[in-house]
Amino acid sequence: MNTFKGRFYSIFIISYYTGYVILGIALLMVLPILTAVGLQEWNPFWDFVITMAISVILGLLLIIIGKQTRLNKSFVQWKHGFVVASLSWIILMFLCAVPYLLSGHVNSILDACFDVMSGFTTTGMVLTQDLDHISLSLNMWRHMLTFIGGQGMIVLALTFLLKETGGAYIFYVGEAKDIDLVPNVKGTARIIWKISMVYLLIGTTALWLDGMAIGLNPLSAFFNGLFIFASSWSTGGFAPYTQNMMYYHSFSYENLTIIFFILGSLNFGLHYAILSGNKKELLKNIETQSFFITSFLASVLAVMWLARTGVYNDAIAMFRRVVYNVLSAHTTTGFGSIYARQFALEWGDFGILILVIVMLIGGSACSTAGGFKGLRIGIIFNSILADVKRLLASERNVKVFRFHHIKDQILADGPVKASALIIICYLITFAIGTLIGTFYGYPLASAAFESASITGNVGLSIGITTPGMPAAMKVYYIIAMYLGRLEFLSVFALIGFIIGGIKKCWTK
Amino acid sequence: MLDKIIKTLIVTVSLLFCLNGGVLAADLVELNQLVENAEAMDGQIVTVTGEAIGEAMERGDHAWVNINDGTNAMGIWMPLDDAQRIKMFGDYKHIGDQLQVTGVFNRACVEHGGDVDIHSNSITIMAAGYATTESVPAPKIIIGLVLVCLAFVLGLIYLKVIKKSDG
Repeated sequence: MNTFKGRFYSIFIISYYTGYVILGIALLMVLPILTAVGLQEWNPFWDFVITMAISVILGLLLIIIGKQTRLNKSFVQWKHGFVVASLSWIILMFLCAVPYLLSGHVNSILDACFDVMSGFTTTGMVLTQDLDHISLSLNMWRHMLTFIGGQGMIVLALTFLLKETGGAYIFYVGEAKDIDLVPNVKGTARIIWKISMVYLLIGTTALWLDGMAIGLNPLSAFFNGLFIFASSWSTGGFAPYTQNMMYYHSFSYENLTIIFFILGSLNFGLHYAILSGNKKELLKNIETQSFFITSFLASVLAVMWLARTGVYNDAIAMFRRVVYNVLSAHTTTGFGSIYARQFALEWGDFGILILVIVMLIGGSACSTAGGFKGLRIGIIFNSILADVKRLLASERNVKVFRFHHIKDQILADGPVKASALIIICYLITFAIGTLIGTFYGYPLASAAFESASITGNVGLSIGITTPGMPAAMKVYYIIAMYLGRLEFLSVFALIGFIIGGIKKCWTK
Repeated sequence: MLDKIIKTLIVTVSLLFCLNGGVLAADLVELNQLVENAEAMDGQIVTVTGEAIGEAMERGDHAWVNINDGTNAMGIWMPLDDAQRIKMFGDYKHIGDQLQVTGVFNRACVEHGGDVDIHSNSITIMAAGYATTESVPAPKIIIGLVLVCLAFVLGLIYLKVIKKSDG
């Protein structure tokens, strides 16, 4: 039954679903609240109570405004999915920034929003100050944001809060997670969350045990294990201390993070295939092939280059300070085992260029990683090869080219065009970021490094991202992180929707 | 005249003494300066100060203690006995002991897999750390309670509205 009245029914649909997303994230604030109670951190306790109450009020108001949608779910279209995803991210950025702001560890609301967007998008850049003295509950929140952002918060909220999710695939794609592991979205979302929770258990336990072995006390080892796992798996790069991975001074701890951030950067479809017994998929998949080739080449080139500079004199140092950072950059994690300024002072232009390239390539599609993704690189590379083969083949010989991603797929013009378009969008965003950086007086190599890190949702910094950087750069970086994570389409849909709405009002 | 010369000499010697003391103070290096000038400072004996943060991580007869001087943070590799003298480490509820560390700065430590660190020769606790007192401002509690009540009321309205729209 259609009970929608007027031309603006889309607003009700968007309001309804956005309300549920906000309500879902508000309910998750229970975790930092419980942490604050357990550890008797009373200021953060009230900060989270205030934020949760504001979020619940806003969420419920939006649901009540859009209540007609309950009887008109068949009207939900693709554009609504994209707009809900992109709009929810903006509203949640402001709401989730409230605990940061109330904690007094950020200079402004802009810095707080920057850190939240950095968490949601699994970037891992930090403007929060004096990390060594922030509360465990705020640290819990920081790492939860990056963990939830990595798995897909829109889907999490809608799948677990709504009974009927027949059209939820629309929202799924809106958040750049277009994968169907099982025929229904609810099942797919549950599988993704099940995979993540199993790894959370294994990863936290492994890091907890190793943390105690390297000298952390049991409680601290547990929280550090939980936080570092959340950051590794979501390829986020946040850490509870200023020194990031350098705090632990441990090869074994670094190795565990490598395992988990590489696993996190792989496609959920690949995890599911392997867990379902299809182990050959790991070798056949175009994304794993692409990732292993590019990460091997980048590591070798970076090691060869830095061996010439003579900074690191042995294989272990090379692995821990060079290969670690290359892998961290390539998987878009952003854990750093050297100081940010060391990239600028010791890596040289060639080293920086290698990192810029791998940061832009990023991890796998439908994973927690950023960048323009190995799948797209593989498709473009295969299409170039196919074109060359076509040129060399006889005109009578019509050949169909394929690539393997979970299943054999035909290399048609559609996916090639879509991949090329997304890559071009990433490159434009990267170029604008570099341009703005150089405009504000940063050296070209540094501006390019930071812009690639932001656009690819990586989080490694060369020293530009500080609370003192120009506000315009902070705003652009927020936009670039947001665009990069949602892979442009949802944001374009939101802009189109707003312009369309204005036009409708104008012509009325 | 001789009196004047003697007085001038005394003042000059005193000034020299003071300036010499100043030079000793200037030997203190900020951690960020070490990072920025790592190549030049590599292998040199440096003196740094900073707050002990997190916790000491014991590794055999030595331990890692990370210090933060406000410009940056860095790991100090020190004998376990020295680490055990540190009573308070900085975190949300504590300001850690303020340490003065003299030791060898390594740009890429051979012993520790290329770590940027300082191997300490001596540690002095300049100021003891302390527990910070946490007080929640009354307006924060009042605003929190009002918002929780509002959320609760709206929750009731939501249940009523949704029930009505479904029914």
